[in-house]
Amino acid sequence: MSNLVNRAKSIAGNQQALLLLVLIAMIAFFTSRNSIFFSNAVFGNIISDWAPIVLIAIGETFVIISGGIDLSVGSTVAISGVVAAFSMRSLTEHGHGSTQTLIVGFFVSVATGILVGAINAFLITKTNVVPFIATLVTMGAGSGLAIVFTGGGPIGGGPDAAIQLSVPKVGPFSYPGLAIVALVIVLGFFLHKARFGRYIYAIGSNEFAARAAGINTKAYLAKIYILSGALAGMAGYYYYLRLGCGAPTSGLGGELQAIAAVVIGGAALSGGEGRISGTVLGALILTTVTSGLIIINVAANWKQVVVAILIAAAVLLQEARAKGSSSKLLSNLFKKKN
Amino acid sequence: MTQPLYEVRDVSKSYGSVIALSGVSLKIHAGEVIGLVGDNGAGKSTLVKVLSGAHQPSEGTVILEGTERKWNSPHDALVAGVETLYQDSGLAPHLSVSANVFLGRERYVKGLLGKLGFLAQKEMDRVAHENLDRVGIAVPQSNRSVSQLSGGQRQAVAIGRAVSWASKVIILDEPTNHLGARQAGEVLSVIKAAKERGLGVIFISHTLPHVLQVTDRIVVLRLGKIVADAPTSTFDAESLLGTITGLID
Ligand SMILES: Nc1ncnc2c1ncn2[C@@H]1O[C@H](COP(=O)(O)OP(=O)(O)OP(=O)(O)O)[C@@H](O)[C@H]1O
Ligand SMILES: [Mg+2]
Repeated sequence: MSNLVNRAKSIAGNQQALLLLVLIAMIAFFTSRNSIFFSNAVFGNIISDWAPIVLIAIGETFVIISGGIDLSVGSTVAISGVVAAFSMRSLTEHGHGSTQTLIVGFFVSVATGILVGAINAFLITKTNVVPFIATLVTMGAGSGLAIVFTGGGPIGGGPDAAIQLSVPKVGPFSYPGLAIVALVIVLGFFLHKARFGRYIYAIGSNEFAARAAGINTKAYLAKIYILSGALAGMAGYYYYLRLGCGAPTSGLGGELQAIAAVVIGGAALSGGEGRISGTVLGALILTTVTSGLIIINVAANWKQVVVAILIAAAVLLQEARAKGSSSKLLSNLFKKKN
Repeated sequence: MTQPLYEVRDVSKSYGSVIALSGVSLKIHAGEVIGLVGDNGAGKSTLVKVLSGAHQPSEGTVILEGTERKWNSPHDALVAGVETLYQDSGLAPHLSVSANVFLGRERYVKGLLGKLGFLAQKEMDRVAHENLDRVGIAVPQSNRSVSQLSGGQRQAVAIGRAVSWASKVIILDEPTNHLGARQAGEVLSVIKAAKERGLGVIFISHTLPHVLQVTDRIVVLRLGKIVADAPTSTFDAESLLGTITGLID
């Protein structure tokens, strides 16, 4: 029994293991309610939903670890998808081939994201606007412009090949989905094993100490907001591939999903804490809940309630861990059972 | 007398209308421990920030080994061999002991990955432990997160980091604050060891017995001005207190 208690303790102290258990429990629950859930088609759908969310959530992870917040990622998804759609429509009208058009579209989308990120970076590091306000401004401007540019409707007329790219090819993963997985892994190494991540943790943990140690904190902050914008631009492109058009509503509410994924993944909004693996699982849990509730025929609005409960649980767990009592709490639970 | 190791001349610093330092001059020699004392708000931390490059003086010059220097950031001073322990701790609590010790001075793996900034974490863990050990600081494990350490252990890590990197001058702003008697005693031994290594040490404290115990010279600040600068042997507890409060001039 003490063995079990120890194992429970180490799991409580390990957010990733706990998240994995939650995820497995969810899959088991949804499957028991409707066996259709456990199928390649559903998993493919979950992964397709997950891919753009994890992109913006990873950017949000970097930002939140640094002690900031990026509210603009959702509207950046919309504006970059729309701008890329206009460029691809125009290229297609001028008779350019679909491969070439899709490549240009990708870079246009990422460049649009980088532009929004650079505006955030400028506001935060040069004019000293707090991240919440700076990114609230770009969030409003971005989603407003996306609607103005499009008149509210989707922008199609791009290469037809786009939508085929989003079909699952390797298990539940499409090729762009696989590329996103690879990118997330690379970014994970930079966050956890390299100087870039080390300094971001240091800035979020104690900015004065980081500056005193000679770290150019503003340059690093600028880089992460630009990174966050670039990833949102990629997510915008991903939605374009999935829908075959650029819609001003793509990414709507994406910032809240990203923040939820990061918090469920164990990061602290006060900075200095968080892991890529947590965010990856947090985003996976979010998208699994969404698909699962639909499949077992629960009204879609329940999703928000479930997500709220997950966030509350994650925050409580974090509080407990900060006090060093999460393992105590759990071992007490086990004692009572004996 | 030999050339001073570190020196400030006629330094003034004001925060808006508050004059925190006015016309302060101070010299420190290699292997010398200076006690910097004064009431709350006397300007000690402000002087520390000028010495460490965190603030630029409004007036006056900073001279290291005979050359006038202008610190644009604390990093400039660090590179030149001037280490500082700030009063409001300079550690990042979410990082490990070794990450803190090596913050801003990371070691990288060899080859291309190293060029991309990938860290040689094992090596840093080991060397951090050795460095802290060398300056007389015992920390359980250098890969533990600083937030898991006691207040005294954190302070010890911060001091150990400063002392182990300092090549010329080390400035300690109230390093014995929040420490128990035994840990405070350890800090004083660390100061003595740094002096043996030939470093110049500037020690700021409100605990006068500590100051009297380890320093060679005491500088008293009052309302931003130096009111006394004399060998420690010329003070006793009573006269030092009197000089600080202004009862003795
Ligand atoms: N950032 C600041 N802005 C405005 N005034 C400041 C600032 N920092 C210090 N001061 C003022 O400068 C004066 C000197 O402060 P300083 O912190 O140097 O004192 P100190 O001797 O270190 O005091 P203590 O023993 O309490 O640490 C005080 O009057 C203080 O209010
Ligand atoms: Mg002070």
